[in-house]
Amino acid sequence: MAETVSAGASGGVLGGRRSRQEAAWGYLLIAPVMLGFAVFFLIALGASFYLSFNKWDMLTSPVFNGLDNYRDVWRDGEFREALVNTLAITIPHIVLRLICAMGLAMALNSNIRFRSFYRMLFFLPVLTMPVAIGTIWKWLYDPAFGPINSFLRRFGLPEPEWLSNPRTAIAAVVIVLLWSGVGYDMVIYLAGLQTIPREYYEAASLDGAGAWQRFRDVTLPLLTPTIFFLSVIGIIYSLQVFDLVYVMTRIDQTNQLPTVVYYIYEEGFRNFRMGYAISVAWVLLLMILVFTFIQFRLQRRWVNYV
Amino acid sequence: MNRGVGHLLSRLALHAVLLTIGVIFILPFLWSISTSLKPVSDLFQVKPSLIPSEIRWQNYRDVFDTVPFLRFYLNSIIVTFGRTVGQVALASMAAFAFAQLRFPGRDILFFILLAGLMVPDQVLIVPRFVLMREFNWLNTYQGLIVPLIFSSFGVFMLRQFMLGIPRDFHEAAILEGANPIQVYKDIFLPLAKPALAAFGFLALLASWNEFLWALTVTSSTDMRVLPVGLALFQGQYFTNTAVMLAAANMAMFPLMLAFLIFQKQLVEGVALSGLK
Repeated sequence: MAETVSAGASGGVLGGRRSRQEAAWGYLLIAPVMLGFAVFFLIALGASFYLSFNKWDMLTSPVFNGLDNYRDVWRDGEFREALVNTLAITIPHIVLRLICAMGLAMALNSNIRFRSFYRMLFFLPVLTMPVAIGTIWKWLYDPAFGPINSFLRRFGLPEPEWLSNPRTAIAAVVIVLLWSGVGYDMVIYLAGLQTIPREYYEAASLDGAGAWQRFRDVTLPLLTPTIFFLSVIGIIYSLQVFDLVYVMTRIDQTNQLPTVVYYIYEEGFRNFRMGYAISVAWVLLLMILVFTFIQFRLQRRWVNYV
Repeated sequence: MNRGVGHLLSRLALHAVLLTIGVIFILPFLWSISTSLKPVSDLFQVKPSLIPSEIRWQNYRDVFDTVPFLRFYLNSIIVTFGRTVGQVALASMAAFAFAQLRFPGRDILFFILLAGLMVPDQVLIVPRFVLMREFNWLNTYQGLIVPLIFSSFGVFMLRQFMLGIPRDFHEAAILEGANPIQVYKDIFLPLAKPALAAFGFLALLASWNEFLWALTVTSSTDMRVLPVGLALFQGQYFTNTAVMLAAANMAMFPLMLAFLIFQKQLVEGVALSGLK
C-alpha cells in the first residue's frame, strides 16, 4: 500500500515546512470525503448497531430490548421464507452466470469479426435500469399473452405460469438476472483472458494439446483469480437483490417472492418495526461476511496466482 | 486447403451461435418497443406479433397524462447530475491526496474508507433516514443527493490510477511554486481523464438506476425519481401495458444512448474497476 518514493526534499528547515504544508493540503483534500464518510457511514453504522438491540416504531423513543430482535429473526417464518428465496435465486444465478459468461468471453477472445458488436449486444442489459427490466420481463412472462408462452405453445411445449407460481417464479427471476448480468462478467473475463500470454498456448500446442486440453490446462487455471473475484462480488450483489425481483413478482399489490432486502424495507418502512428491520439487515451483513470469508478460505485450494 | 475450409466453417458456426444469442439478448428490448407502440386490441392476442397492427405514438403521450412523468424525469436528471458531479469531484480530490501526498495517518484513513465497501447499504438505511428527518431533508433534492456523493469505491479506483503517475511530475511543479491544489487541477485531472470518465460513467449509471434510497427518502409524488415512479405506479395507474412499457422505455433510453456513444470507455472502465 505505501508507495515509498524517495523522499525528495525532506531535509532542512525548508523541507520541514514543505512537508507540513503538504500534509495540510492532504488533509484538506480528503476532508470532504472523510467528513461525509464519518457522518453517513461511521455514525450511521454505530447508530444502526445500537438500534438493532431496540424496539422502535420511530414515533416514540427506542426501548432497549437486548437480544430480543435477533431471537425473533431466528424464529421468524417470514424472514426464513425471504432467506430461502434469496438463496434459491443466488446460487443458480451465480453458477450459471460464471459458466455462460466464460463461454461468451472465450468465443469473443479470438480475433473474430464484429467482436465489439457482439460485446455491445451482450453488455447492453447490464446498464439497463433494473426497474425497467423487471417491467419489460413481467410482460414477456405473461402466461396468456406474453411472447414466451406463445412461442412455447407453437411447439406444443408445456406453458409454465412463470411469475404467478412461486416455484417457477424463481426460475423466471434467475433467467432475467442471468440475462442482465452475464455481460458484466463477460467483460471482466475478457480482461482476464487478455493477460494470458500467447506463448502458453503455443507451447501447449507444440506439446500436442488439443483445444479441450488447452482450455483445461492453460485457460482455466489462469482464469481462476477472475472466477474467484466474480463469484465473491456476484454473491455479495445477489444476496442484496431487490428492485428487479420486487417489480417482477409483485402481482396485485402482493409480493409473490419476497427477498431479504424487500423484507427489511417492508418491516422498517411499512410496518414501522425499525429496530427489527435493522437487526435483519445485520443478519444479512453477517451472512455476506460469512460467505466472503468461506470463499477466501477455500480459494487456496483452487485459485492459482501466478 | 482442407484445413482452410474447416476453419471457415467453424468460424461460420461460431457466428451463427453468437448471432442467435445476440438476437435473444436484444429481443426483450425489441419486444418492449413494439409493445409500447401497439393499440390495446393488439395486446390481448393469444398469438402476439412483433409487428404492431398500427403504430400508436399516442401511448407515449399517454404516459405523461397518467403520471407526472415529466417531473420524475426532471428529478432523475437533477439527482443523477448532483450525485455524479459530487462523486467525481470529491473522490478525485481524495484519490489525488491518498496517491500523491504524504501525511501522517494516510494509509490508516484509506484503509478505514475501504472497509466501508464491505457494508451493504441496507444496514445504514434507517439511521440515514433518521438523519435526513432531523435535517428536514426528507422529500428534498439534498436528501436524495448528499448522502450518496461520498464514494469509497471512487476513491479506491481513482487512487489506483493516480498511483501510476510518477511523483516527479508534481515535485517539479511544486518546486516551481505551485500548491497541491493547482497540481491536482492542472496536472492530475487532465492526466486522469480516462479514469475519471470511466468512474463518471459508473457513477452516472448507478445514480440513474438507484432505487432503494430514493424510495426511502421520498414520499411525495413530486419528489419521486424515474425508477421509483415506474415501480410504484405499476398496476395502480398504468392499466394499459403498452403505456407502461412506453414509460419503461423512456426511463432507460438516455443511458442506452449514452452507452452507444461512449461504449468503449464504459466497457474499459468496467474492466478496469473489476481488475484491481
